[in-house]
Amino acid sequence: MHVDLQTVRRVFEDVLSGAMSREQADRWAYAVLLQEEEAGVVTHSPFHERERIWAGVMYLYGVDTMKAPGEYLHSDDDISAAMNAKLDEVADSGVAMLQRASTMGRRNP
Amino acid sequence: MTVDVAPSPENRVGAGATSERPAFAAVVVQIKQASPPVSAGLRLSHERLHEIDRAFFGPFFREKYGRGGDKALENDRIRYYGLIQPANDGGELAGRRYVHEFDTMTGCTRGWHETVDRAGNVRQIRPERNDGTTRHYQFDSNGRYRGSW
Repeated sequence: MHVDLQTVRRVFEDVLSGAMSREQADRWAYAVLLQEEEAGVVTHSPFHERERIWAGVMYLYGVDTMKAPGEYLHSDDDISAAMNAKLDEVADSGVAMLQRASTMGRRNP
Repeated sequence: MTVDVAPSPENRVGAGATSERPAFAAVVVQIKQASPPVSAGLRLSHERLHEIDRAFFGPFFREKYGRGGDKALENDRIRYYGLIQPANDGGELAGRRYVHEFDTMTGCTRGWHETVDRAGNVRQIRPERNDGTTRHYQFDSNGRYRGSW
C-alpha cells in the first residue's frame, strides 16, 4: 500500500468539502493503519515526510468520533486547523527545499 | 514517560502501573498478534517491562503511537498514548487521542480512541471491533459508566 502526502491532504480536503464523509475518512485511515500494522507494507511518499504523513493518517483515524449521538467531536475548524498543522509544514519544507536549491544555484552557477 | 489518565479510580493505584478497567476491557478487541507470546509462567516486573519496551518494542510503538506518553500496566501490558487532537468547541471536552496497547505476554496489540475532558479525565472510549463497527462508551467525570451508543 502506498500513501503519499497529496492523498492524505486530499482526504482532509474531501472531508471539509463534504465530498467524503468522516466515517469514510476514518475507514480509509484505519485501512492504512492495518496495512502498516499487519503487513508492514505501507510506503510513504515522499519518504522523508513519513512522520507527517503518519500524523495526518492518525488524525483522520477517529475523525468521526462523536461527543453525543449524531454530534461530532471535531468541528470543521478543528479539522482544518489540524490539516494545516500536520501537513503545511511539509509544504513549507518543500518550499524551503526549492529556496535552498535556488540559492545554491545562484552560489554555484 | 508515564501518563495517569485512566477513567476509573482503580486505575490510579500507582504512578507507573495500573489495573485495567474491566468495563471496556471486555469490548476492545485484538487487532493482531505482533510477536510470539512470552511464556505464561514468566511474570515480569514493571522495571523489566520498561526495559523490554525500550530495547525492543519502544522504538517501534512509541514512534507511531506513543507521542503522548506510555504506561506499564500490572497485567504485563504497555499502553502508548497519542497526542491529544484538540476539540475547540468551548465545552468540557478537550479532545481525543488514540491509545495503543501491547501485551508483552501474548504479543497481541489492540487500540481505541479516548475522548478526554479538560481536567484530563477519560470521558469516552471508542474501541475498534474486528467487524469494523464502532461504538462509543461514555463515563462521567468520576469514571462511572454512563452508557453507550
